[in-house]
Amino acid sequence: MSDERFDVVVIGGGHNGSTIAAYLAKSGLSTCVLESRPECGGGQENTEVRPGFRIDPHATYLYGGAAPGFDQLELWKYGMRMVYYASMAGVATLDGQAANLGGRWRPDLGDEAIKRHSPADLQGPGRIFDQLGEDASRQLLRALFWTPPHPQGLEVNPEDMPWWQVFRKYLPNLYFKELIDMSYVDFLDNFVQWDPLKVVGAFGAWYCGAHPDWEGMLLQSLGGTLLYSYASGAPRGGMHTYAHAIIRCAIANGARVMTNAPVGEIIVSNGRAVGVKLSQDAAFPEKTIWADKAVISGVDVKQTFLGLVGKSHIDPSFAQRVDDISLKGGSLFVMSVICRELPRYHNDDRYFPQEVYPSCVIAPADSFEYFRVQTRDAYSYKKSPELTPEHLTMMICTHDPYDSTRCPDGYHVLSPIYLEVPPPQYDVTGPLGINRHKEEITKAALGVLKQLAPNMTDGNIVDVFVNTPYDSEFRNAGMVGGNWYGIRQSEDQWFSNRPLPELSRYRTPIDGLYLCNQTSHPGGLCLMAVPYNLMHVLIDDGVVTPKSWWYPSPFYVSDPKPGTSNIKTPTDIGGTSISSVDSQALAASEEIR
Amino acid sequence: MTLSNVDTEGLRSTSRKQEFGVAPTEHILDEFPLTSAYDVAIIGAGPNGLMAAAYLVKAGLKTIVLERRQEIGGGLATEETLFPGYYTNPHAFYHMMTDYMPIMSDFALNSHGLFFVKPNTQTAGIFSDNSSLILYNQIEDTKDSIAKFSASDARTFGKLMRKWRKIVSEVIAPGTYVPPISPIDMIETFEKTEIGREVLRLSEMSPAEIIDENFESDRVKALLLYVACMWGLDPNESGLGFMVPLMVDRAMNKAQCYGGSHKLAGALSREILSEGGTILDNAEVTEILVDSGRVTGIQLFDGRQIEARAVLSSLAPPLTFGRLIEQEDVPPEMIESASLWEWDKWSFATMSLVSQEPPVYECDDPSVNDALMVVMGFDSLDQVLDHFSAVIAGKLPESIGGHATVETRYDPTLPRIQGHQVSFFQVHAPYEVQGGWDEQGPVLVDNLITLWKRHCSGLVDSNIVMNSLETPIDIETRLSSMVRGSIKHGDYHPLQMGIFRPHDSCVGGRSPIEGLYLCGASSYPGGLVIGGPGYIAAGSVAEDLGAGKWWKEPEYVRRYVSTYMQTIG
Ligand SMILES: Cc1cc2nc3c(=O)[nH]c(=O)nc-3n(C[C@H](O)[C@H](O)[C@H](O)COP(=O)(O)OP(=O)(O)OC[C@H]3O[C@@H](n4cnc5c(N)ncnc54)[C@H](O)[C@@H]3O)c2cc1C
Ligand SMILES: Cc1cc2nc3c(=O)[nH]c(=O)nc-3n(C[C@H](O)[C@H](O)[C@H](O)COP(=O)(O)OP(=O)(O)OC[C@H]3O[C@@H](n4cnc5c(N)ncnc54)[C@H](O)[C@@H]3O)c2cc1C
Repeated sequence: MSDERFDVVVIGGGHNGSTIAAYLAKSGLSTCVLESRPECGGGQENTEVRPGFRIDPHATYLYGGAAPGFDQLELWKYGMRMVYYASMAGVATLDGQAANLGGRWRPDLGDEAIKRHSPADLQGPGRIFDQLGEDASRQLLRALFWTPPHPQGLEVNPEDMPWWQVFRKYLPNLYFKELIDMSYVDFLDNFVQWDPLKVVGAFGAWYCGAHPDWEGMLLQSLGGTLLYSYASGAPRGGMHTYAHAIIRCAIANGARVMTNAPVGEIIVSNGRAVGVKLSQDAAFPEKTIWADKAVISGVDVKQTFLGLVGKSHIDPSFAQRVDDISLKGGSLFVMSVICRELPRYHNDDRYFPQEVYPSCVIAPADSFEYFRVQTRDAYSYKKSPELTPEHLTMMICTHDPYDSTRCPDGYHVLSPIYLEVPPPQYDVTGPLGINRHKEEITKAALGVLKQLAPNMTDGNIVDVFVNTPYDSEFRNAGMVGGNWYGIRQSEDQWFSNRPLPELSRYRTPIDGLYLCNQTSHPGGLCLMAVPYNLMHVLIDDGVVTPKSWWYPSPFYVSDPKPGTSNIKTPTDIGGTSISSVDSQALAASEEIR
Repeated sequence: MTLSNVDTEGLRSTSRKQEFGVAPTEHILDEFPLTSAYDVAIIGAGPNGLMAAAYLVKAGLKTIVLERRQEIGGGLATEETLFPGYYTNPHAFYHMMTDYMPIMSDFALNSHGLFFVKPNTQTAGIFSDNSSLILYNQIEDTKDSIAKFSASDARTFGKLMRKWRKIVSEVIAPGTYVPPISPIDMIETFEKTEIGREVLRLSEMSPAEIIDENFESDRVKALLLYVACMWGLDPNESGLGFMVPLMVDRAMNKAQCYGGSHKLAGALSREILSEGGTILDNAEVTEILVDSGRVTGIQLFDGRQIEARAVLSSLAPPLTFGRLIEQEDVPPEMIESASLWEWDKWSFATMSLVSQEPPVYECDDPSVNDALMVVMGFDSLDQVLDHFSAVIAGKLPESIGGHATVETRYDPTLPRIQGHQVSFFQVHAPYEVQGGWDEQGPVLVDNLITLWKRHCSGLVDSNIVMNSLETPIDIETRLSSMVRGSIKHGDYHPLQMGIFRPHDSCVGGRSPIEGLYLCGASSYPGGLVIGGPGYIAAGSVAEDLGAGKWWKEPEYVRRYVSTYMQTIG
């Protein structure tokens, strides 16, 4: 099989790899995606495990609603289509409480519930986001997630970080300096009174990748929840449909996609990445594919350097730093339950009537303290999981009340039910440890579910499917730790520090090799954000010339030209400029329509 | 050349934005427009719909494919039914026409990473005393194996297969890719050649007669009759005997799609998309719109309408004419066809299994373990006859027999845990069983494992990681095109084959309703992943819409047309 040549070769057709391929192909570059599995999509998978029933073993909700990608890539043309849910969240406790918190399309549900349970929580900073409108929410989210990290060496006052700029602009009355150093837990302790509401906030944030206990990550944690409520729904048919739309956009714009094409090696010549070699078990064993302009790695940072580049092209100290990148942050034990009736919490339909059934119920949410113990346990080395009900707070999700494609009439699918557990790498009994407890954990979790919703009897439950983080890692070669954010999303590994400071601008010590996986900023979730951010750098490096549909982040700071120090000072991007640049970007996006 | 009259560019739907009262800049709410217009709309993204689309889109026609499921491919499915971590091919697995299908040379499918593995060791039969018989791709290898049972059968097989391969390559394989001619015309043209005369002679015979007439060893007969009938021929029915050479030859020419059968769908979809075609999944078609005897488009489940000059349906007459079109718009002959249509006389039940070690067959010839398919449970012609009579009568055969395949033998990509093995054991089964599948399914699984263990002692419980069963009801649930688990969308019997498939007023895929074409397994020549119906319909549509038919029939097809399709009248 003869060699082939493209402008750009993308390794891995997961969410981020496919999206950058779509961006580049639409910009006119000849682009090739090499995916090791028979099908693209990575973590965006749905599986019809039982005929007629579709479960979500990994990703389930659409967090990327504010992505410029929906506009720039026009995914609707390729079948992307959302289903909007009346209620995105509910909460229930073992001691008999339950509340429907609604979502973006039905904010009244949440207001009413909070009024009933904890009127004090209706006002104040605790409900920051309800005070942001559509436009401000989008700008805040874009500042947090759709902004490339600043160049190294640029000194910015913490309060001038893009997200704080937007916050100050839209919520001046709620802004005070102490927020910057707070963790989300500090914030919840200070401003929220009702414990179940705190658990929901913390669990929501945790599930978005930025753990609520991490210092200095308040807005990131909050931002995760805002991402969740922003789209308030999921793609019709499940997340894999979203993956289809992205990959079809890439192909329609000329990209070549090869599946069963695991890359075994990134070819480095004179310090530059010039192509890749497929591995032995590829559809074309050991085929070489040359990249004239760039090689983009859509696989995790550890595999990229320690596996594909190889130690002969990187120095040992760098290799050690890559090896040391922390995977901690908890991982997900995923259950999928097929049943005839939806859980009827506390045996009372009135909590969650069918028309506004919360797509996700966080329960049991009795005590914030217990929840913190549970998360602490998921972060430290553990021998065996604690399986008392208080330690089994779960996210119990269902889509079928809103999306009829998920199962036949007369049935329901609770999928996924997420439970936090340590990544397999951090299990003292070895990575397989979690699988030894699979049945025990499932049994305990279903027991708690039955305690909350007495109708979840054996007779109601038709089938149960479980994937542990260990299974997830095997199912998807890219998911180190079986987790959903790649590597820990703490301040030490976020923005200009992600995955390492010198890699944060997506460039690498190897010329022509760029990173485009969730292990880069802004991390996990299918946001089309890593590729959007990477585009800025590729444009700066002359790899790609933007077309009229492209608009950059208003907060993007170019690199200093060699020899000069034209790094913008913080004031340049602060205060007044954000609104003007942002409105320019908005105007640009209007124009192309 | 683009024939499109209305362009959907820039027409994104804004209705949602009004409903939710959000700004027009809110792009997450962008959707496919409520109305749009195409040259061609294709119902169903199975192998046939996708193949038709690939040809038409490249002919410059603005083409859209609508698929009800979340995933394209129809019978080309590769799914994680063994959860978590193991993929299997719940429907089509054996690709029997890769050496003939025109798509293989008309498109650069392998540029997407698609390839087929076609081993020489093809189909093995293992008998109760652990002796074995192997059909290889190569005739002489096969004769060696047959000679163990009968020297004379080996000689007969050699001579017969030479003739049968000619029948396949000169007549039946090329006939797959051109519209059929009437039986009267066939008799006229086929009489002209020796091969043609043999085809006519075989047609009058039943599969059992053909096999019985030629061979003496009961075991040789058993295996050959099984492979001749396994895809849907009634062993005792005459009229379709000409298909016996095809089925036996194809039992020696199967290929496996590396990475799973769905990869063929993926590769085809990339050809469609890169040429500007559109594919929508989760998009069930609920109505074919007809105005004054002419098709105008289709309607989706959510009321979205797509105008089209040509609509291609991959669904059988009871669905296309019985369900999707207002009955007053359906011509009487098609109403009749829809109501008389017979679904497949049997379906499949498939048990998939994950094991740590592969099932290793203990028999007189270790190369059985290289076979793509291993048939078990039949020592004699009578047992095969009993087996098919029972399923035709709607019963699960009392003495279990069927075929098994170790999918990972030639495709290590299916299990996520390296070294683990994925296999399946498939049996013919009626749609309904006495007591219901919920009750009978587990019994069947037990029986299959018992039979399998008898030939593979290593298949002990501790070796088995998990298993799952797909019943005919499951097939229908996944694919609503396969009503009653009909893997071919309709039975193979003389009145539903040739020019009568699905009806003699639909030759070349053209239905009596102007603009409506049929392109699925219920159309000539029939089911399985053979590429015939889609290819033929694409040719008719390109011609009728005046688009450039950019592809040429393969040489072997042209030779067939000039020899067998030129009638004097
Ligand atoms: C349990 C769970 C729940 C989640 N829930 C959500 C959610 O609700 N919403 C959401 O938006 N996100 C969710 N996520 C996160 C989301 O799935 C990931 O963030 C996302 O898939 C990351 O995309 P990626 O492209 O960076 O990596 P991946 O999706 O992992 O893609 C990497 C790709 O590279 C391929 N690959 C690996 N090695 C090679 C090689 N050598 N050569 C070629 N190809 C290779 C892999 O097969 C894979 O396709 C969840 C994740 C998990 C695990
Ligand atoms: C268990 C099993 C094993 C098989 N083994 C083999 C084998 O080994 N080799 C082989 O060659 N063949 C095999 N087959 C048969 C083969 O899969 C089929 O004959 C073939 O897929 C038919 O192709 P098709 O495109 O005509 O229809 P299908 O593959 O049935 O595709 C039709 C498509 O239309 C879609 N659809 C249905 N209704 C609508 C609607 N209203 N709107 C939009 N879309 C709709 C369906 O979802 C489906 O995707 C097997 C089948 C089964 C079930």
